[in-house]
Amino acid sequence: MRTRKKVMRTALALTMGGIMLSPGHLLSMEVEDAPEMVTIESMANLYGPVEFNHLMHTEYASCEECHHHTTGDKVVDSNCARCHSNSGEGDEVTCTGCHETNRFNKDYLKTLESPELYHIDKPGLKGAYHLNCMGCHEIISGPTGCQECHTMTEAGERRFNTGTFAPAKGTSSSGH
Amino acid sequence: MKKLLSRRNFLKGGLAATASATVLKNKDCQASGDFDGYPDSMGVLVDLTRCVGCRSCEAACNKEQDLPEPAKPFDDFSVFDEIHHGQKRRTDETRYTVVNRYDVPELDHPLFRKFQCNHCAEPACLTSCFVNAYTKTPEGAVIYNSKVCVGCRTCMIACPFYVPTFKYSSAFDPKIMKCIFCYDTRLKEGKAPACVEACPQEALTFGKRKDVLKMGKQRIRETPGKYVDHIYGEHEVGGTAWMYLSSVPFDKVGFDTHVPKEPILNSVKDFLAIVPMVLTIWPGLFIGFHLLATRKDKIKEMEKEKNKKNDEKEEQV
Amino acid sequence: MRLFSKERPEIPIVHHLKEDGTEWTIKEKLWLGLSVPEYKKQFFRNPINWLMIFIFAVGVPLILQRYIFGLGSVTHASNDYPWGLFLGFGLFGMVPLSASGFMLGTTVELFGRKDFHAIERLALLNGLLGYFFAVVFLEVDLGMPWRLPYPMFVSLGPAAVLFLVAWHVATYLSVQIAEVLPAFFEWIGWLKGKRIIRKWVLGLTVAGIILSTLHQGALGALFTYAPAKVHPLWLSVNFQWIHFFCSSIFAGLSMVIIASTLIKNFMGWRCDDEFKDNLDYITIGLAKGASYAMITYLVIKIVAVAHDQEWSYLLTGWGSYYMLELGAGVVLPMLMFAIGARNQWVTLIRFGAFIAALGIIWNRLNTALVAYNWQLYQEIPHWKEVWITITIYSLYFLTYRFIVYRLPIVYGWQGEK
Repeated sequence: MRTRKKVMRTALALTMGGIMLSPGHLLSMEVEDAPEMVTIESMANLYGPVEFNHLMHTEYASCEECHHHTTGDKVVDSNCARCHSNSGEGDEVTCTGCHETNRFNKDYLKTLESPELYHIDKPGLKGAYHLNCMGCHEIISGPTGCQECHTMTEAGERRFNTGTFAPAKGTSSSGH
Repeated sequence: MKKLLSRRNFLKGGLAATASATVLKNKDCQASGDFDGYPDSMGVLVDLTRCVGCRSCEAACNKEQDLPEPAKPFDDFSVFDEIHHGQKRRTDETRYTVVNRYDVPELDHPLFRKFQCNHCAEPACLTSCFVNAYTKTPEGAVIYNSKVCVGCRTCMIACPFYVPTFKYSSAFDPKIMKCIFCYDTRLKEGKAPACVEACPQEALTFGKRKDVLKMGKQRIRETPGKYVDHIYGEHEVGGTAWMYLSSVPFDKVGFDTHVPKEPILNSVKDFLAIVPMVLTIWPGLFIGFHLLATRKDKIKEMEKEKNKKNDEKEEQV
Repeated sequence: MRLFSKERPEIPIVHHLKEDGTEWTIKEKLWLGLSVPEYKKQFFRNPINWLMIFIFAVGVPLILQRYIFGLGSVTHASNDYPWGLFLGFGLFGMVPLSASGFMLGTTVELFGRKDFHAIERLALLNGLLGYFFAVVFLEVDLGMPWRLPYPMFVSLGPAAVLFLVAWHVATYLSVQIAEVLPAFFEWIGWLKGKRIIRKWVLGLTVAGIILSTLHQGALGALFTYAPAKVHPLWLSVNFQWIHFFCSSIFAGLSMVIIASTLIKNFMGWRCDDEFKDNLDYITIGLAKGASYAMITYLVIKIVAVAHDQEWSYLLTGWGSYYMLELGAGVVLPMLMFAIGARNQWVTLIRFGAFIAALGIIWNRLNTALVAYNWQLYQEIPHWKEVWITITIYSLYFLTYRFIVYRLPIVYGWQGEK
């Protein structure tokens, strides 16, 4: 898994350009280490990419609320703290680094059977995004409608029988 | 015509009845034994606390299963207010899955419940089908073969979840329409069903049944107070492939909590058990009755014959 | 017919030979020995036939609609109530009312009660037609009626209760055909056939008892597939098959009383003296038997309530309805039978039989439709579904009458036997 994670390091980690000079073990990352804007488009299909303002969101949430134990901040969640209270900054801070894009593929499901694995219930990438965003947005009344974050593509309209693909008699009232 | 049968004819008749009954019917009595389910069968854990009612699963199912165009777009949420016969929306020949909204008084937000075939370990539809149209595959899907179905709809009676629906609209090609776990197109190849893949919230978690069950238990254990301590489908009707977690008691979000905790077939076994008994005991018993009931006639007849012989003898003498 | 039978001594036909010594042809026998204008005249004189014409005028197009546009076009096409009147009445109601065949077969052939002989053939015919039309109802209801033989020959699901029902009803239907054939053979004058069947009669009767016990019970057991859907008062997982079997006994007997009453009153010309003279005695005997079956049934019903601890349900609205069903549908006719039998009040018994038969149909409809999905909602059948049900039942009535008019069912054949 470890090599796999390293391989899967993505743009976000690289943009930090961060060669950690210090032992780093107890140091946590700073907001400035992260890019201001992130385009989330790895799974864009039915909906277009999301322009995510990372900087803006740091005003609403502390790092570990989204990045769990990976940024080196003190872990709050007691479940996580059982193992990660002292684990410090991780090799990987990006979402894609830990959360599978293709959560239910056969090979990944196989790895979940390992008796040594604790994280048998780690959401896939899409689940992680939505659970994280929506969970918070519902509490602080952020946007929760699908199209408030990403617009529906043509493929999406076809899938949902809406817009240009709306049923003849149907009433299209895109709420949410 | 003499009412009393000769011994030979009597035996012939009785034997024929017994033989025909046993030969034709001995198959009926096979009540299947205990079945714990296929060890590696797949399952889905549905977490009601995660579902936001976006209906992506409905849309995905519609396209994957090539079902007819819906009456309203899949992003039209007015469907949650549809009430028919006092009931919320249900599956039918045009949709294999629906999501319904439940307003629970003690919560400040509604809960959504996805509904589709639960793919029982020991399905009632399968055990009630007299033409073997249903199959429980080792992957966990309960699939249906329309080529042998006669359209008796007993499966619809037997299903405790009201899942199988009938294509009533067709006179020449009617069939049972229900979720098949995307068996043909996905599950067979180890892929998750379309609805699971479409769910943005990962309210649906696909994996081996035993693994997702473990996950469900972990969620209950690690987030105290979030869930009621029950996984619907772990034991209901003998266990189902699709299982549910909820933050409120299940009967408040449209689940039937009165379904038996054992396979539906178990309640039929009482009757199946008497079948061999009737087949073996009845013939002897009733022929016995017959002999008893007609004994007097027989005796009378024998006496008559005796008298006749005696008369003849006397005449000879 | 009364009209002609007074004028012409050779009518109704009871013999192969006419007055002048020539033989009746089959065609003449079919026309009841009347000329076509005479036949028409008597046909249209009968108001029942006008009612039938009216029912069929609407019903036949509806049946065609069902076969061209599907079940959904004549029923509510409900996924919550997959079974409607076609099965609720046609299968679950007709089959117990047709238990008469095996009941009287057993009484006469097996127990040697020859005093019931005069009604045996009517009971057998009643059984045969009831089963046959239950299958006709099934054919209207099945999604794919052309696949009726599938459970027998194409794809077998032997562990299912319905498999047992299918096989047993099919075999029993054959048994009943064999049992009624002697009357037909007498009528067409083929005595060899009759002799062959006569040899098998005991075997057929025993087979009839086995098959009837099992499939009457199996019809009840079908509902044990829905333990969470049928109201607990109408469903006892342990006793359901006994309830259905036991109630079929008095249902069948009541139906014979009803049929014989109608025949005696409206078809007197067709009955012979043996039938007419013995009918009151036989009716009293049948009523006695039926009342014993009814008290047994009541006891098992109560045992089931006790066994499943359902006393509290009796205090609900459903409980009142349940007690009404048992009270009006079973206890009342039972008392009528018992009192009638004791005091030789045959008319009381005959009314009781009507009530008992309705009570059984009511019970089956309650189990299959009213108490089914008791926690959901009530489905009221579509009027077309009701009309088709009445049409098929009228067809049953016409077939019944057609046969009783002709074959030696309620009269003895006076030609060679």
